[in-house]
Amino acid sequence: MILQAAWKNFCRQGLRAILNVLVAALTLVVAVFMVSLVNGFQDQSSKNLKKTDVAGGHYRLAEFDILSPTEWEDFVFVTPPELKKMSSDEKAEVLVQQGQLFPQNRFIPAQIRGIDLEQSLLELPLGSLKSYKGDSIPAIIGTKMAKKSNLNKGDFVVLKWRDKYGAVDAREIEIIETVRFVNPRLNDGVVWLGLKTLRDMTRRENESSWVTVKSNQGEIKELSFLVPDVLMKDVIELAKHDRRNSMIMWIILMVLCCISVFNSQMLNAFKRQKEAGTLLALGMTPGQLTKMFVLEGSFTAVGAVVLAFVLGIPFFSWFQTVGLDISHLKDSTIPVTENIRLVFDPKQIVNCLLTATLMIVFASWLPARKISRIDPSRALVGKAF
Amino acid sequence: MNRKGALRVPQDKLRAERKMNMLSNHKIRSVVVTIFLGISFFSFQNSYAQEIDPWKLLKAVDDNLWSNTKIISGRLSVDNGRRVRTMSVDTWMEGLENSYSFYKSPAREKGTQMLKIQNKLWLFTPRTDRKILIAGHLLRQSMMGSDLSYEDMLEDRKMSLSYDVILEKWEDVDGVRAAVLYLTAKDKEITYQSRRVWVEAKEQVVLKEERYAKSGKLLKRVTFEEYKDYSGRLFPKRMIFRDMLKNDTKTIYHFDEIQFDKDIPKKYFRQSILKR
Repeated sequence: MILQAAWKNFCRQGLRAILNVLVAALTLVVAVFMVSLVNGFQDQSSKNLKKTDVAGGHYRLAEFDILSPTEWEDFVFVTPPELKKMSSDEKAEVLVQQGQLFPQNRFIPAQIRGIDLEQSLLELPLGSLKSYKGDSIPAIIGTKMAKKSNLNKGDFVVLKWRDKYGAVDAREIEIIETVRFVNPRLNDGVVWLGLKTLRDMTRRENESSWVTVKSNQGEIKELSFLVPDVLMKDVIELAKHDRRNSMIMWIILMVLCCISVFNSQMLNAFKRQKEAGTLLALGMTPGQLTKMFVLEGSFTAVGAVVLAFVLGIPFFSWFQTVGLDISHLKDSTIPVTENIRLVFDPKQIVNCLLTATLMIVFASWLPARKISRIDPSRALVGKAF
Repeated sequence: MNRKGALRVPQDKLRAERKMNMLSNHKIRSVVVTIFLGISFFSFQNSYAQEIDPWKLLKAVDDNLWSNTKIISGRLSVDNGRRVRTMSVDTWMEGLENSYSFYKSPAREKGTQMLKIQNKLWLFTPRTDRKILIAGHLLRQSMMGSDLSYEDMLEDRKMSLSYDVILEKWEDVDGVRAAVLYLTAKDKEITYQSRRVWVEAKEQVVLKEERYAKSGKLLKRVTFEEYKDYSGRLFPKRMIFRDMLKNDTKTIYHFDEIQFDKDIPKKYFRQSILKR
């Protein structure tokens, strides 16, 4: 009986109820969208980092830090036999050295990165380094680096570096290709060479800065194994930050939505005090009265969930076909260049819906609690509040 | 025509023949003299070249440039192609290992100090009130935006000890005859694996120096200008450093005042001097 009465009262609210449901539903859609977008960003960036750089982890010296270029040369190691014997689809040896590029007699600091050209573990567009037949030192740069240095395919440019013993060397290198990397970290300031070429140039036979592997090979003397989560720490942290920011945004929206529900319930209580007084006079307990009002509020929450599905499913379906264009961030170090698609996590969605429902129910309970305490005789003459 | 008449040689012809003989004798003599003078000149040149021991010459150059102590008051002008920045700096040097520099101007650099002890360099900036140790690879960075690295500035090896030297040729440098010495590093750890030095043999001073990469590519050119006698030692008034891989940049070290072999208190080469 209470459920029927609550439903009738809810329907009688008309436009007010519809607006409340619509606002709550949109809030839910926005919440799911924001959380799934952050998931999509993290998923895409992790995928890009893994396929171009991180794979299943790195073996390197514990002190090596890619953000300290002046120390790169100090923390290299001779690739141990355990890693050396692995097949080319399971490991990729990388040597990183500091260098200076002099395009048109300007000076640009560069990271000279040599990679094993036989490897197939990482997806890098460096095939032309392997097939090069000329006499120069062949090099590949990314499109971003090409733009920064004003270099194009076929250009010759002076590269300066130090060998293992500290002697300075400089030679002209040939830019045989400018390529587009999905991971901007492999693009900005990086000059790609074959590993053998770089080892010969720097007199570092068999030395590597790190070895990327498909999976953990266990403990190797003097080397540390860095799992992908450690190597992608900054991206994970960034996503965590974004998730926190979107959560704050969602809470603000939910509070506004709850205020709207609370406001409607307060108005209901004020307008329907005679009705409440009559029901109490006829024998309804305050608990039953509260229940009825809370149920009315709960219909808003349930309606919002249903409407969120009705609005959300077509919207999300459309969005997945286009994705979010983030080409304006192409100059940043975010390792995503493609449009971002949503990644839905059922657990997160259920959590989101449950939290929203509970918040709305709570917002409708507060005014209902007040109406259950009114004096029926005063309420009947409209002076309960 | 009679027989006698046929045998007689006309007088004017004889005269002409005699004249011709005299002329050819004179020519021969001139050629001989020229050849003799030429041979003498070249043999003089060769003997001069042979007399020069390139290593001794390089050592003499080192001995002239290096002293037990040196106090220099100078200016460092850094021209990056767009603007010129001039810093005035006083430097106290002890042997090859220790040096201390104090920057006096401009206001931005005033109070900046550099202390080098052995192969370590500390930089003190009054704005941060901190001393920073510049060691290892940091020494290879550009010093105050100039064409010199800290390493170049703090070079502490005598060329005669670090390089094998040969006399390559003789060349004119701004009208001065100079021996061109080609230096090859004895040690694979030496930054510049080869150098070319133009030395005025009589005064034993460097006029020009070029530093090369291991591949032989020219990296830096240093010219030494206006040698002046500072209490018996010839020292340039200016050293101009050019990074040959860059366009339109140069760094000029002007030596305004130099004192050799003066006593320098020990406090100049202690870390405690690095303060405001």
